[in-house]
Amino acid sequence: MVTPSGQQTQADGKEVLLSVRNLSKSFGALKVVQDVSFELARGEVLGVLGPNGAGKTSLFNLISGDIAFDTGAITLSGTPLGREPSYRRAMRGIGRTYQIPRPYAKMTTFENLLVAARFAAGRSEREAYLSCAALLEDCGLAGKANLPAGGLTLLDRKRLELARALAGEPKLLLLDEIAGGLTEAEAGQLVSLIRQVRDRGITIIWIEHVLHAVMAVAERLLVLSFGEKIADGKPQEVIDNPDVRRIYMGIEA
Amino acid sequence: MTASTILVHRHTLSSRIAITVALLLLAAIPTMPFWASSGQIRLIIELSCLIAIAQMWNLLAGYGGMVSVGQQAFIGAGGYSLFVLSVYAGLNPFWSVPLAMILPALLAAPSYLLLRKLDGPYFAIGTWVLAEVFRLVTGNLQVVNAGSGMTLRAMGQFTAHQREIGLTILCALLLLITVGGTFLMLRSRLGLAMTAMRDDPVSAASQGVNVGRMRFGIYVVAAMGTGLAGAIYYMAQLRISPSSGFDPYWSSICIFIVMVGGIGRLEGPIVGALLYFTATRLFGHYGASYMIVLGLLTLLIALFSPGGLWGLFGKLRDWPWFPVGHRLEYRQRGDA
Ligand SMILES: Nc1ncnc2c1ncn2[C@@H]1O[C@H](COP(=O)(O)OP(=O)(O)O)[C@@H](O)[C@H]1O
Ligand SMILES: [Mg+2]
Repeated sequence: MVTPSGQQTQADGKEVLLSVRNLSKSFGALKVVQDVSFELARGEVLGVLGPNGAGKTSLFNLISGDIAFDTGAITLSGTPLGREPSYRRAMRGIGRTYQIPRPYAKMTTFENLLVAARFAAGRSEREAYLSCAALLEDCGLAGKANLPAGGLTLLDRKRLELARALAGEPKLLLLDEIAGGLTEAEAGQLVSLIRQVRDRGITIIWIEHVLHAVMAVAERLLVLSFGEKIADGKPQEVIDNPDVRRIYMGIEA
Repeated sequence: MTASTILVHRHTLSSRIAITVALLLLAAIPTMPFWASSGQIRLIIELSCLIAIAQMWNLLAGYGGMVSVGQQAFIGAGGYSLFVLSVYAGLNPFWSVPLAMILPALLAAPSYLLLRKLDGPYFAIGTWVLAEVFRLVTGNLQVVNAGSGMTLRAMGQFTAHQREIGLTILCALLLLITVGGTFLMLRSRLGLAMTAMRDDPVSAASQGVNVGRMRFGIYVVAAMGTGLAGAIYYMAQLRISPSSGFDPYWSSICIFIVMVGGIGRLEGPIVGALLYFTATRLFGHYGASYMIVLGLLTLLIALFSPGGLWGLFGKLRDWPWFPVGHRLEYRQRGDA
């Protein structure tokens, strides 16, 4: 368990990038996120587990600013984000993918990346061209650079979600079920891509049902159930936790 | 990481030809008074205004996602501005035309703030209600002759030939600003944001695009372009009344032209306006049955080719006239 210490550093001296405190959100009577708190050190990779409807995506929406929280606080590098809209958080370095990919369907794959590079990362035209072209190569999309994104296969859409988020040069990357629906081999490719991202020092929160994929990269797991945090710690400890085992029975072999 | 030299192409052979032809056509419009008939000139003025108004509606609905059925509010506002400036301030009507964009902009800014909370159909209804309010207010204002409308007597100081020269120059400028300006805007950084918003505003916001401010800007710019076209159109008519200037039929025309031509594409409104214009010349005298045919055509296109005629054409041939995209080419791959 992480014990909150000062604003900027954790007990072990690591810099705190993201701090989420007593975060709650309801849709009418439905409490989708309830009193969730955690801290994330710079460079850390946190896996988030939980059954469908547990509030994982909602947690991302709250962090990225796609929806506003009811109570609590979200702090990035010591700055409280409050009600700041999502476009400003993107410029601060929060990048995200969507569980159901949301590409700019009529724009090309390359142009999808350009948007993030020019706006979230604030790059000049020339810089954006170079970084996006390189990212497409890294993510295995170079051959599809000039195709409309709406026509891509599921794997390529997932890659595009990742590539586009990276084009925004995030400090904190939120990955929402990026390996879901892919074959074993495809998921494997994505895992090695995410490893590379981690090796560049980008802090990652990764929601994933494909347990072995997220276990291959995450150094810490957090489990949500009915909007509440029920476990948070070293992957093996979390997996062995009886509550977690009960919830996950039948969902993950 | 791999490194490669890259090239980004933004034009094609088709676009170079199309832009050259478009500029030549624009340059030819002001020469018309020296070789064309007055009837032909009147047609070109009307066509130019239609293209401009439709292009502005395309900007609004196609890129901004704001489906307005109240753009007549700004046509009327632009037209009335011109008449009021000429009648009360005694300004030369031709020089008043650019000033006619001010009132639409001043009206658009607070209108947007009222409308922005409304979604989809509610937004559309809101724009229509606003336009009706403008029409009712104008129809009761004695300074603008209330319901009976105004006449542009100041045009009497010019000969018919001079008027035609002035109007054709204004039309060429109108097209240059509304079509050429939209083209340049769509190719810029802002255009990238607008195109992204068109496809997915939620994603666009999560990648740093200030969607709200972009929408505000689009709404005001569209109002100004529409007002400019309104001023020129009613200058050619020599008179304006609340029921013509604020006629909801203007919005029906916009929807038809843009939906049939191709929404969210620069070429769409041009193709749509040409079709509407030609069809109206040829079959307009059939009255109601002609309107039914236009309506059916819109429906068919909406059902079977959501990209409109331009989208259909694009499937057959990738020959853009005004490309706003980026084509990436990798060269000489190698290791860094
Ligand atoms: N915008 C919304 N309005 C109402 N209910 C929502 C909304 N978004 C999510 N929910 C509900 O919140 C709960 C949590 O959803 P979500 O965060 O997507 O869960 P997860 O990603 O863990 O599957 C679900 O019951 C879902 O139906
Ligand atoms: Mg989810």
